[in-house]
Amino acid sequence: MKFTPKQLDGNVNVSSTHPLIELLWLLGGLALLVGLFFFIFGATTDWAVARTPIKVETWIGELALDEFPSKENPPLEKRLQALLDKLPADSVLHQYKFRVFLVDSDEVNAIALPGGNIVVYSGLLKILTSENELAMVLAHELGHFAHRDHLRSLGRGLGLAVVTTLLFGEGSSASSLVSKTLLTFQAQYSQTQEAAADRFGLDLLVKRYGHAGGATDLFASLAKNPGEKFPYLLASHPHPEERISALIQQIKDKNYLVKNTLPWKHNIIPR
Amino acid sequence: MFLQNFNLIIFIVLIILGYSAGSLAEKRHYRSIIKRERQLLKMAVVTAEGSFPPGHVKSSTLVSGSAVISIDYFKRLLAILRNIFGGRVKSYESLIDRARREAILRMKESARKQGADMVINMRLETSTIGRNANRRNSVGSVEAIAYGTAIIRNN
Repeated sequence: MKFTPKQLDGNVNVSSTHPLIELLWLLGGLALLVGLFFFIFGATTDWAVARTPIKVETWIGELALDEFPSKENPPLEKRLQALLDKLPADSVLHQYKFRVFLVDSDEVNAIALPGGNIVVYSGLLKILTSENELAMVLAHELGHFAHRDHLRSLGRGLGLAVVTTLLFGEGSSASSLVSKTLLTFQAQYSQTQEAAADRFGLDLLVKRYGHAGGATDLFASLAKNPGEKFPYLLASHPHPEERISALIQQIKDKNYLVKNTLPWKHNIIPR
Repeated sequence: MFLQNFNLIIFIVLIILGYSAGSLAEKRHYRSIIKRERQLLKMAVVTAEGSFPPGHVKSSTLVSGSAVISIDYFKRLLAILRNIFGGRVKSYESLIDRARREAILRMKESARKQGADMVINMRLETSTIGRNANRRNSVGSVEAIAYGTAIIRNN
């Protein structure tokens, strides 16, 4: 046997596909798949949510409420009741037993929890300047309940989380990659929900006070220090300036009046 | 909200870093491999046992070469995507190829240093360092080891 060494050209063991092309195809396929699932789960969730009784949502709500250490606040609840009284008799909101809680914290936020629980942070109350602004905040949260937003996001996120865990196992890199892709869809959907709650809030505000004064004041004070628009691409809320222009457009379209706001009645924060 | 963006930005930065640094390292490594293969072309390496006429062999010794090549973040991303869709994991092909060729070259070099001109009974073994190279948050490496019997002949 004779040994004749030869240097070979090329490499039989390595494929010639360019890695970036492969990445494009695979990522594109993944985005398509996740988008498809999101759409299908969305349609299924919306169908199911419309048929979920308020009692079920209240039960879920009891579980979520334990996370927030807070006390019920009668003055806030009185203001909420004033808004509820202006709703039509057939509104689904009348089936809720609403409770408003005040959390002592510098955070500027208000949260709607499943089942009719609204949590307001004292940091938010500190920067409000009128009764109308507070009514707008409460009306916005009522909008979330009217549209059954909690169950909708819950259904979408949970559905996809279950599918990926079934396919790839817990904590695998594949499921974390899929959840990163899902993030983009989820954020966009959340922003749509927020904008719809803003619209509902404005309509209810006008029913309560007869005019739309004070609707944009809170967002204007948030917009004074909003930062770049980029982080808001993936945020759960639209950029404050976007919310302001959407509200102004709605005021114009529906010919709402804008009058002076009522001054702040400081009987809410316990001394 | 800021935290979600931050994670995504880190992810994208690692991918770009993995791709650019990884491609560069791979090209340079292949150039080095091809150059050394050309130099060591005359050294025969076979997996056969070989048998020699009496008096032909002065001495024989065990020689081995090993190489460890790391998986970069970009290749790992492609592999994870393949885990979802199935098919050839092309991104790892070059890693294993480089590791094996490097291991064989180092074994040949070790044999040459001892004055041998052939290596018989060569075996090649590959493994991944880190129990599961695709496990979350761990970037593993591929190790290849080539070992055989170097024959130093009586001339």
